[in-house]
Amino acid sequence: MNSTVDKTLAMTYRQPPVSRHFSPFRLAALILAALLGNVAAMPLQCARAAIEPTTLAVLYAEGDEADAGQFSEIIHAIEGMPSVRVLPIRLTLGDMMLAEAGGMRWPLANKLALNEGAIAVVYPEIGEPYRSVFGKIIEGIEARARAPVTSYAVTAGTDADALRATLKSKDVRVVIALGRQGMRTADALNREFGVVVGGVMAVPEEEARNRAVISLSPDPALLFARLRSLASQVKRVHVIYDPHQNNWLLRLARDAAREQGLELLAYEARDLKTAARLYQDVLARAEVERDALWLPQDATTVDEATILPLVLRESWDRRLPVFSSSFGHVRRGVLFSLYPDNLGLGRNLAGTALGLLGPNDAAGRGVVPLKDVQLAVNLRTARHLGLNFTNRQQQGFDLVFSGQ
Amino acid sequence: MLQLSRYVALFAAFALLPVAASAQGLDDADLALAYGDHEFVSIATGGRTPITKAPAVASVITAEDIKALGATDLDQVLETVPGLHVSRNGNQWLPLYSVRGIHTQYNPEVLVMINGIPITSGFTGDRGRMWGDFPLENIARIEVIRGPGSALYGAEAVSGVINIITKHAADIDGGEFGVRAGSYRTYNVWAQHGGKWGDLDAAVYLHLGRTDGFDGNIEADAQTGLDRAFGTSVSRAPGPLNTGYDAIDLRVDLARDKWRLRAGYKGRPDYLTGTGVADALDPDTRMDARNINADLTWRDAQFRRDWDVTAQASYLHIAEANTDITLFPAGSALPLALPGGAVSSIGMVGRPQHWERQARLDFSALYSGFERHKLRLGAGYFRDDLYKVTESKNFTFVGLAPFCINLDCSMVEASAANGLAFLTPHQRDSRYLYAQDEWSFAPDWALTAGVRHDRYSDFGATTNPRLALVWDTAYNLTSKLMLGRAFRAPSFVELYTVNNPVALGNADLKPETIDMLELAFAWQPRAKLKTGLNLFHYRMDDVIRFVPNADPTTGNTARNAGKQHGSGLELELNWDVASNLRLAGNYAFQRSVDENTDQDAGLAPHHQVHLRADWRYAPGWALNGQVNWVADRERPAGDSRPPIDDYATFDLTLRADRGRSGWEAAFSVRNLFDADAREPTTGASASNLPNDLPLPGRSLYLEFRYRP
Repeated sequence: MNSTVDKTLAMTYRQPPVSRHFSPFRLAALILAALLGNVAAMPLQCARAAIEPTTLAVLYAEGDEADAGQFSEIIHAIEGMPSVRVLPIRLTLGDMMLAEAGGMRWPLANKLALNEGAIAVVYPEIGEPYRSVFGKIIEGIEARARAPVTSYAVTAGTDADALRATLKSKDVRVVIALGRQGMRTADALNREFGVVVGGVMAVPEEEARNRAVISLSPDPALLFARLRSLASQVKRVHVIYDPHQNNWLLRLARDAAREQGLELLAYEARDLKTAARLYQDVLARAEVERDALWLPQDATTVDEATILPLVLRESWDRRLPVFSSSFGHVRRGVLFSLYPDNLGLGRNLAGTALGLLGPNDAAGRGVVPLKDVQLAVNLRTARHLGLNFTNRQQQGFDLVFSGQ
Repeated sequence: MLQLSRYVALFAAFALLPVAASAQGLDDADLALAYGDHEFVSIATGGRTPITKAPAVASVITAEDIKALGATDLDQVLETVPGLHVSRNGNQWLPLYSVRGIHTQYNPEVLVMINGIPITSGFTGDRGRMWGDFPLENIARIEVIRGPGSALYGAEAVSGVINIITKHAADIDGGEFGVRAGSYRTYNVWAQHGGKWGDLDAAVYLHLGRTDGFDGNIEADAQTGLDRAFGTSVSRAPGPLNTGYDAIDLRVDLARDKWRLRAGYKGRPDYLTGTGVADALDPDTRMDARNINADLTWRDAQFRRDWDVTAQASYLHIAEANTDITLFPAGSALPLALPGGAVSSIGMVGRPQHWERQARLDFSALYSGFERHKLRLGAGYFRDDLYKVTESKNFTFVGLAPFCINLDCSMVEASAANGLAFLTPHQRDSRYLYAQDEWSFAPDWALTAGVRHDRYSDFGATTNPRLALVWDTAYNLTSKLMLGRAFRAPSFVELYTVNNPVALGNADLKPETIDMLELAFAWQPRAKLKTGLNLFHYRMDDVIRFVPNADPTTGNTARNAGKQHGSGLELELNWDVASNLRLAGNYAFQRSVDENTDQDAGLAPHHQVHLRADWRYAPGWALNGQVNWVADRERPAGDSRPPIDDYATFDLTLRADRGRSGWEAAFSVRNLFDADAREPTTGASASNLPNDLPLPGRSLYLEFRYRP
């Protein structure tokens, strides 16, 4: 818990000398300030705040207000300052009694540790090996939140009311929902908590408006940048997609392609039959000197049993580079894929959740693609395409399949 | 059968526990799209890919596989590898890795390494006379290469290479505590932790174990034959095998930047003698093996532009001590009393012990600066020092007959001075150089050519080449043609034993060699179906055997007398039937001929089938079933016993992983139907132990693991 405190500045607001009577709250606040932050070091820490937002814990007791709502106005004014994130902490009678009993340090420090009790993770009760995926994501969340995060494994039968009560009792304000089951459970919590979603492929846009979603779909900008570095001859990228699933991604992809100097040829397919026809068509007329094919995460158009074998066979025969948003496709024979860096994804989810905790609700809403990725390359396919990577290049690959 | 039905009912009760929990399929589709199927997830979540240094027919068994198999010892894992059958040595019931029909009594033709460093004992060329298993929980993966590997790995890589890779800090990733209890009063407890220790990535593993060991019945032993001949009645047979031991294992792995320091201790106190050192049951002798290994490795993957350089220094210390070994029990006619002397009151007793230390230095570099070429260069030095050999005994041989050394048949300290020692300390050095080039000479074609030259201080030099042509035939088919030569160095016992007419050493021995031609195909006809077919033909030459001297009354001497050839195939299938069900299987066939007799070399199975199903039938619950069928093992020439029976064993493992609570439990039944599985005895053991060697019957294990 202490580790969460070292970068947190505690600032006390002192009531002007309207009433000079002894206030245990003020005493508590002063002691806390001394415990948590060396006041003399404040300028230095403020300088650091120019680089990353400084969190100010403002401790107050409503009983000390001269006028009702006075403190709220002051807090609001502080919140308006640049690079400052405010954590208002209203001290209660319990805190006071603990302070008087001499045991105040930890309960209050806990309150100051932003994420202690403030963030909960709900994730699906699921067997291995996917449980380890969620385990790593949660590890990343805990690392970014710099304190233990309370996690709840949920199933379709989880009692949302009981969970809501538990979360409220723990002062939870933001829920990170992992996976579809986690998201469903978060939905059932009645919008009482901020929700950040991760570990899902995509969310229909209407559902994503009120929440922040980090998709498992790698950012097209990262995919295209990798394509340029691995197969520099490529100038054009073909993609077949289901607009219902991937409209949001294609919007990003078009911008990314433009920025990378690539031409993106995107074809809509709302069913497998159309997709199959389009794939046959694209594979037949692709120009191998300058074209590549992108397989997005798309349950409609990238069918593992029919489309993938067709693409792998035809692209092999024609020596057409294929890259994919799905990790599993690399060993099957596509040139490369980006796959989630689970720890990084966890850190990013925690960052977004901390944004929601902030007074300005700084976190964005809607779906964003996965930016925490690792690179898997199929060297057998690379050799077939005539791409020979140097040792140094290969050092940059997180995973290789050599075909040996 | 009543008992069996009870086991089945018990299993069913456990297995049905999770049915109450509804299956969770909501997330599978998303996760499968992002991470691939189950096989990939372990890689994506931090596992490491196999580091293949050259094209080969290889199998990789990961820590997840080992857990799923419910294996409690290394041999159970190795038995699943196509073309590898774990048999038993008549002498002490030691495990014997029979690969592709190459099945010799002391089994030095398989190179076993820990983290790429050989653990071969120069004494007999195997893994030591008191192996006592290798604990599995600290293993990250096991890579098994079939076929010759001396062009890269040096001596003993004749029929195969088994490389055990232990866990790094990241593989353990936190703490784990585990306990296991099972049949034969087997208990294991272990703890391991991997994480940061200051700037270091640190991993520590501690295992303590004990077992009474499998106590299968030995109907008749060497003393039984002596009893018949001399009219005595002192054999312990029929009686149980003595396979118990205590175990202490400690491993430490520290890494920082380019440096890695590993150290391990493997202690096997109270190790029993199996079938007995002279094939006569001996429940009283206690052996004590203590091995220490350490290595310091430095690797700079970007040493210079296009250079990946590794330097490694390693050390291995092997100590094999024991109490007095009762070769034949008190009351036995052996050793024969001297004229006018007393009969031994303690039987025929000896106490041979030895201590060995090995040091290795290895430098290797991978250069990728030439377009289409990958060059691997290496050089090294190896010193094997059998620095201490002691022996006391109450017998010595006169011709082939053991007589008391003195009139009262008491123990005498053997030495070179009194001419009684069976072996004196010896030292051997070797230096080696190797080079390998992987040349992608045309699209879809790569030729790997390698050669290694080893120069030993005792038997001289040997050069072993290897060629591999790899053709990426189609998007889902890879074809490989491989040709290689390998050698094994004569052991100290084979070179220098004296005063033991059963097995006299020969300092003029040459290394045993093998040439093998392999054709391998890896074909993935469907998304969820992977297949492999490997065909091989080999010829071994200068095989070291103890053969009768010209005057047979003077005993047997080690000579490069054997020649053997063989052919066979391995067929492998892996089928992901559904997202929660995987079937895997392999079939191995081989036929090998001893060229001295022109008859089947015998002992190794002609056919072996291994089938396996992994079914994750509810979240956190997994059921694994295995069938292992070992068939058609002929007797070698000169062994007139009827062929040994085929056998099939069936194993079941139920594993429950209770998620974030940190608890995990597994329940295994091995050899569920209690099949009478036996491995053949050979050589002198064939007559000493005529009813062959029993393997464990039905046995149960229960295991709990906890990760905080």
